[in-house]
Amino acid sequence: MDPARQTKDYLLPHQLLLSIAEQMKLPLLQIARQAELVNLSRDLKDISGIQALATNALQLLDAYSLSLQLKNNAGFELAPETTSVASVLYDANRQLQALARMYNVQLELNIGGRFEPVLAHRKGLESAIIGLASAFIETLPAQVNGGDLKLQLATHRCRYGIVAGVYADMPGLRSEALNRGRKLYGRSRQPMVDVSHTSGAGIFVADAIFKAMSLKLHASRHRHLYGLGVVLKTSSQLSLV
Amino acid sequence: MSKRTILLIEPDVVLAETYRSILEKKGFRVRHVFGAQDAVVAADEKKPDLVICELQLVSHSGIEFLYEFRSYPDWRQIPIIVLSLVPMAEFKDSMFGLVERLGVVRYLYKPMTGLVELVREVDFVIG
Repeated sequence: MDPARQTKDYLLPHQLLLSIAEQMKLPLLQIARQAELVNLSRDLKDISGIQALATNALQLLDAYSLSLQLKNNAGFELAPETTSVASVLYDANRQLQALARMYNVQLELNIGGRFEPVLAHRKGLESAIIGLASAFIETLPAQVNGGDLKLQLATHRCRYGIVAGVYADMPGLRSEALNRGRKLYGRSRQPMVDVSHTSGAGIFVADAIFKAMSLKLHASRHRHLYGLGVVLKTSSQLSLV
Repeated sequence: MSKRTILLIEPDVVLAETYRSILEKKGFRVRHVFGAQDAVVAADEKKPDLVICELQLVSHSGIEFLYEFRSYPDWRQIPIIVLSLVPMAEFKDSMFGLVERLGVVRYLYKPMTGLVELVREVDFVIG
């Protein structure tokens, strides 16, 4: 790895790996206990929940392995391509619906409006959004206990381009919390303790993937909601067509 | 005899529903809360016979909660089972405090504690 890049990274590969291993305990534990419950109760209606949890665990592993590849291989890049943000959010939303239902979270898509194509690695952007949204879904019920369990995958225009992000009614989600989390990630069990009871690996894996695309994850607002998003540059080449 | 009440402090919905389901099937009444503040409110409304607590909570550390919980005289004798994703080895230096000061009667590591074992431990403590 390029030494200059290594010093800039706030997380070393072994720390990332350890954190991912810790994070994967939760879905595997959920699957193990749900399977045990089905076995004890002989009630097969709960089996769809196990399937949803296992599918999400596989999606997370996909995102995690992508981030580890990026950490370990300086030549491995996520080259930008012309991508539709709306289609990425649409696909992520479809893949996350089953998990959201398990957590009683209403996952909404807010892609209304006409947006130009952007420059981003499509698979990387989708993996990062899935990682972010999974982390939010896990923590939302505990965070807004009794409140509105709504999560939005949304896009809006800003001065520098088009923002794609994940938003909820979580006022604690601010730049300071994200920056503090970046410093503590891999060193603390709960780097964003005001926001999440987990290691929030999905957030930091998304952060690493965005970094590999020369993008930066930041705290962002969408209407009255708080969240994390990334600013994407529009593809001017296609705008001319 | 009235059902024994368990206060379950668990931030993960999926795990909470699984634990609640098996404990209710075994005849316990379960009140589930996500975090420390709600746990205090719930215990105030109905004094539990047992507390099952995760240590990784949003905003609060579970240990902080346990100290606060034990500060109320009425709740000093309520047994507490820690059921956590944090391995016990991380508490080896403070295990004495957990047991002696906070009255933790069992420390169960979630990945290694199946539902049958959880019910067995709960039965042993308050059954």
